[in-house]
Order: sequence, then C-alpha cells, then structure tokens
Amino acid sequence: MNIRKNISTLHLPHNKHTAGVSSIRIAPPQEVVLPLSMHSGAPAVPVVNVGDYVRIGQLIAEEGGNISSPVYATVSGTVKAIEPFEKPNGKSVMSIRIESDGKMEKDPNLAPPEVHDLDTFLAAVRKSGVVGLGGAAFPLWAKLDAVRRNTVDTVLVNGAECEPYITSDHRMMVENTDMLVKGVELLKKYVSSDKVVICIEDNKKDAIEKLTKIFAEDPRVEVFSLPTIYPQGAKQVLLYNVTGKVVKGGQRMASLGVLILNVSSMTKMAEYIETGMPLVDRIVTVCGTAVKQPTNLIAPIGTPISYIIEQAGGLKEEAGKVLIGGPMLGHAQKTLDAPTEKATNAVLVMNKKEAKVYEPSVCIRCGRCIANCPAKLDLSAIDRAMEEENEEKRLAMLEKTGVGQCIECACCSYVCPAHRPILERNNEARAFMKNAKKKSEGGK
Amino acid sequence: MSKLTVTAAPHIHSGASTQRIMLDVIVALLPVTVASAVIFGVKSLLVIAACVISAVLAESVFNLACGKKNTIGDFSAVVTGLLLALNLSTNVPVWQCVVGSVFAIVCVKCFFGGLGCNFANPAIAGRVFMLLTFSQVAGGANPTIVDVVSSATPLEQLAKGAEEIPSLLDMFLGLHGGAIGETCAAALLLGFVYLLVRKVITWHTPVVFVATVFVCYLVATGFDVTAALYQVLAGGLMIGAIFMATDYVTTPITTKGRVVFAIGCGVITFIVRFFCAYPEGVSFSILIMNILAPYIEKWTASEPLGGVK
Repeated sequence: MNIRKNISTLHLPHNKHTAGVSSIRIAPPQEVVLPLSMHSGAPAVPVVNVGDYVRIGQLIAEEGGNISSPVYATVSGTVKAIEPFEKPNGKSVMSIRIESDGKMEKDPNLAPPEVHDLDTFLAAVRKSGVVGLGGAAFPLWAKLDAVRRNTVDTVLVNGAECEPYITSDHRMMVENTDMLVKGVELLKKYVSSDKVVICIEDNKKDAIEKLTKIFAEDPRVEVFSLPTIYPQGAKQVLLYNVTGKVVKGGQRMASLGVLILNVSSMTKMAEYIETGMPLVDRIVTVCGTAVKQPTNLIAPIGTPISYIIEQAGGLKEEAGKVLIGGPMLGHAQKTLDAPTEKATNAVLVMNKKEAKVYEPSVCIRCGRCIANCPAKLDLSAIDRAMEEENEEKRLAMLEKTGVGQCIECACCSYVCPAHRPILERNNEARAFMKNAKKKSEGGK
Repeated sequence: MSKLTVTAAPHIHSGASTQRIMLDVIVALLPVTVASAVIFGVKSLLVIAACVISAVLAESVFNLACGKKNTIGDFSAVVTGLLLALNLSTNVPVWQCVVGSVFAIVCVKCFFGGLGCNFANPAIAGRVFMLLTFSQVAGGANPTIVDVVSSATPLEQLAKGAEEIPSLLDMFLGLHGGAIGETCAAALLLGFVYLLVRKVITWHTPVVFVATVFVCYLVATGFDVTAALYQVLAGGLMIGAIFMATDYVTTPITTKGRVVFAIGCGVITFIVRFFCAYPEGVSFSILIMNILAPYIEKWTASEPLGGVK
C-alpha cells in the first residue's frame, strides 16, 4: 500500500502525557450507574429487579430492539434502583444503579462461548456487549453483521487514537497484546477474506514496533503507520488514508469491502470469546491541566467520574471544565455525577483558564474551515443556508451542501479565527434536515 | 466546587483570532513602511499617519453614530488605512488622504455592514476613488535618498517611451518614483515571507498573480525576460498581489477559487498596462475581480468528499 496524500491536515498539540503510564485497576467504587443506552440504537431492557444481588458479568439488561446491546453488572452488589438518570444533554436515560459490596465477585456461571462458525461467532460478539469503544458506541455485532451481505476483504483495526490526551487505545495495544492478537485471528477467520490492517498513528512507536514484530511472518496482517494528523481516526479519513477509497453518496462502507473497528473493541471482543467475561470494564485516561496525577485507570463501567478523578490523585487546581471524551469531541459535564460508559475513553479536567469562553465575531471568510475540512464541505454555504428564513428554501439549499456527510471532527470550529461555532451550526443543519424529512414522511 | 463551564465541542482552539491576523498583516507591512520612510523621507510617514488615524476615527465615529459595537479593536481599519497610504505618493496633501480613508472605511466597508460584508477591498476602492477624483495620487514623487531625474514612475516612463529608465536592481530596491509602499520589492517580499510563515495567506494568489503578468508580458514582448521582469517589479503589482489580492473578505474562499481570481487579476493588469491609456492596472484588476469573486466562488465551491448524498 502506498502512502498517498492525506485528506486530513490538522496538527494538534498531542498532549499524550499518559502514553507511558501503565493502566491500574482502581479500587471498586461504592456504586455504579449503568445507563441502558450506552450504545447507539434501542435502549437495553432490564432483567433484574431492585433488591437483586448481582455479580460481575451477570446480565442485567438485555437487547431492546433490532440494533441494541446487552448490559452486564460491573461490580458485585445489590441493585439499588432502576431510574432515569439525566445526561449532560438534558435527556433522561433509564439506568440501573448497583451498590457495590466491595467484593468484586465474578458471576460463577461465566464460561467462554462456543464459537465454530460465522453464526456462532456473531452470536458471541452480540452477547459480549461490546460496542464501538472509540466513542461511536455502535454495537460491534451489528457492524460485523455486514459480512453476511458483503464480501469484506479488508478489516481496518483503528488504533489511530488521534484525539489529544487520550491514550486508552494505546495502552490497550501495548498491555493487552495477547488478546489483541487473538482478536486479529478471529477477524481473519470469520470476517476478512484477505487482510487485517492495524492502523496506528506514528506517535505510538512502541505499539507499532511491538505489533510489527508479532505479525512480521503473517502475510494477511499489516501494521500501518499513519502520520499523526487530526482526525486520522475518523472512519472516512482512515479509509482514504489507508486504502485510498472513498464512500460515495448513499453507499455503505462494507459495500467497498472494508470494515473499520476500534482496536479496544476488537480486543474486548476477543476477551469475551476467550474467557467468557463480557464488557464490564475498560481503560479510561484521566488527564487535563487540573488533574494531579494524569494516569490510565481500568475502571468498572458505570463508575462516577468524581470517583475516577479522585483515583487520579484529585485536582491540583480548580476545575473549569470537565470532559467525558477528548478535547475535540468530548462532552462537557455540568456535574461530576455522570458515570463512565462503555465508550468513555477519557475523563479530562481543564483548568479555569482553558475553560474560557470566547465570543464569536463576524466571519472574515479566511477559508480555514473549508481548507481543513476532511469531508471537503463548503461550510460557508451551510452557514448561508441556515440564515435563510424560508424553511423550504433552506432545506433545498442545505441538501446541495452535503452537510449530511459532516464527520463531526470539529476541525472547522478549532481553526476559526472568529471563534464561530461552525460544528454546532452543522449539527443544527443536520437536525433541521432530519426533522424536515420526518415531517414530509409524516404528511404522506 | 464552583460552576463548571459547559459548551459544545471542541473544547480547544487553534488560538487564531481576527485580531491576530490583522496584527500579522500590519507586522508584514512594517518592512515596506520603514523602506518608504527611507526612500521617500519622513513625508511618507505623514501620509501613513493621516490615512491610519482617519481610517480608525472614521470607523469609530460610524459605529458610534449607528449605535453599533465599536470594531476598531480588530485592527482591520488600521490595515485599510496603512494599505491605502502605501498606495499613495508623498505628493498627496493630507486632506486628500483623509478624504480617501473616510471613503474607504465608510462607503466601501461600513455601508455594506462592516468587516466581512464589503464586496470590494476598501483600500483599493479608496485608491481608485482618489485616482479618479484627485491628480497626483500615485506618481510624481521622487525618492529623496537618490538623485532621480524624472519625476514620473517607471511605468509612466515606459508608456512615454523614455530612454532612461531605472535599472532592475534599483527597481528591486525601490529607488524610483511611485507610491510610497509599492516601490521596494525587497521589503514587500520580506512581508510576503512573514505572512507565509504565520500562515495568514498561502502562496497561491500572489505567485499566480505575478506569474500571470510575467507570462503575458513574455508572450507579448516575444520572450524578452528583462522586460517581463521589469513589469513584475514596476508599479503596484507586488503590493497588490501580496497584500490586496489576498484580502479574505473580497476574494473567493477556496484555494481553487483564489487561483482563478489571481489569474484574472494578472490578465486584467496586463491588458490595462499593455493596451490602455492608464500606465497602471493593478488596482483596477483587483477591483474588477472583487466584483467577480462571488461568481468565481460559486463555480469553484468545495465539493463534498464522495459527492452530495
């Protein structure tokens, strides 16, 4: 494979302060909160009742629809409540609250699943509860299910981890290499007809070296070193930069014969198939200017972020902003009550200075947003369309812009000298289009 | 714990700001400002001061009169005033400088909604306004540090078919008649490099603009490289290509569009200089292309990756 011109261009300060910090398993939290929709798709449905005693790995909520993912107990203890929990975006999500007994007892019934063909493999992935752990949270089985309809010749294992600060995928690759290798073997056997390419940004030299050595003799596995450019890990960008392919309008990536999955997702999938332990914990990077000891923690899913921060030595200065996820795409939190979810790869605490909010000023048409857009969107046209008051005209204008292809990487807002909330505008535009579509379908 | 800030992503920023960009343009214009004072004497500083001060005051007063937020803090008025001044000669009386600046700021920029909304480059429009209203705007002044016989600019001399014209080296150093900021190519190139390093502009517009003029002259003169080089160094081509044709607001937004814009500027400059009565065509070319910019933009808009769904 040749190195071609990358479509992403942005150099961000990495701030990967925790790249060399081995992950540590934290002491069990007193309580975990497990939202029933930690994945995209239909929320899971509880199968336990308040007062039940549960152990780690025990099913507490089963799939609730076509695309869904089960939830397992992540500590041993008593189900305290099944109640709505308010997310930072204001939406309430039904959640199961488990009070830990501190024993961290595993469910004795756990056993590795029987996997001998594609059907049993996909069934196992479905049971593992693994979703896109890089942030997308799309159920892994649903993604792999495409192999039934398309010939997948290449699987890209996404270890780019292009967001600043976050090192949880990096640590996963370095620390759980055995499991990773097992995951690759499974993909070779059941998913990819030809190649498995492990894609890693070149700021993770140790991971690249280690994996290159392991797979040196395997003609079907390639370790692909990518330049450290944001948003290298975005799927459209990764697809292009590694294979040179582009998903055309209306196409699905699988129809090109390619699937992309996150490296931690793949490793956790292998862990379930090997040990029978479903997704109950994960590596979370705790970092940011206000954190005393930036580190990587192996935390039960559902651990309150206040506890996570405490486990990283607490704060050395006043918190200005607390993020779940990275600084480019993460969600700012109102309080520290929120739990870590399946796709929570980082908790970042920024100091007061970094949390400064800038007033947007007029667009000076410098064109940096367009020049840095990996999806090559005409952002000025989207902005103009959103100014249009007539909703029909606005819809027609927006449809021409291709705003639906926005990959939400936030490069536009990052580079804007006028501090204009360009990404927010795009999100508004897409929400508007979705609503308009719903309305027109409803009218028919 | 005190209140946490909650905003939408992203939570980090490149640190770029409108103010910083304008400041960078001002810094990039410093070498040529100093050169103008050295070449044309302190009188050039008087022209600069008159233009900058009146531009800033005009914007301030306009905003106050309209009850708008004062926008002089973005330094764009300083840039306009400075650019206008550098495109004038020392022969221009102070009151004319003031009239030109006020026209540029109020009529060209503020009337259209201020920074980001104007269709034409205020400094260029101001200069063309002065060119049509007053005499002796661009040419006529002599460098004070060297002995120059003719008071005409090299382009005027060429147009008249003068025997003795400044050498190429003098052209590069700016030791000839003309507007105070247009003559010293060396200082302008220094500013160009600074803008490139600071990533305020890309190389496309200036290089394509100048190259187009150069190539047009090469063809027109039957591949006389010296004559073509002379055209590159003479008149306002350098300052226009580096500082005026790269104005964000009045040029297309994509690189592709900017290249088309620059080719247009180059061709029009050549046509005016070669075929028309005016010895200089840079201002006109940029002004005309400013007007065409929205059409070029429509035609060169960014295509979404993979096409529109």
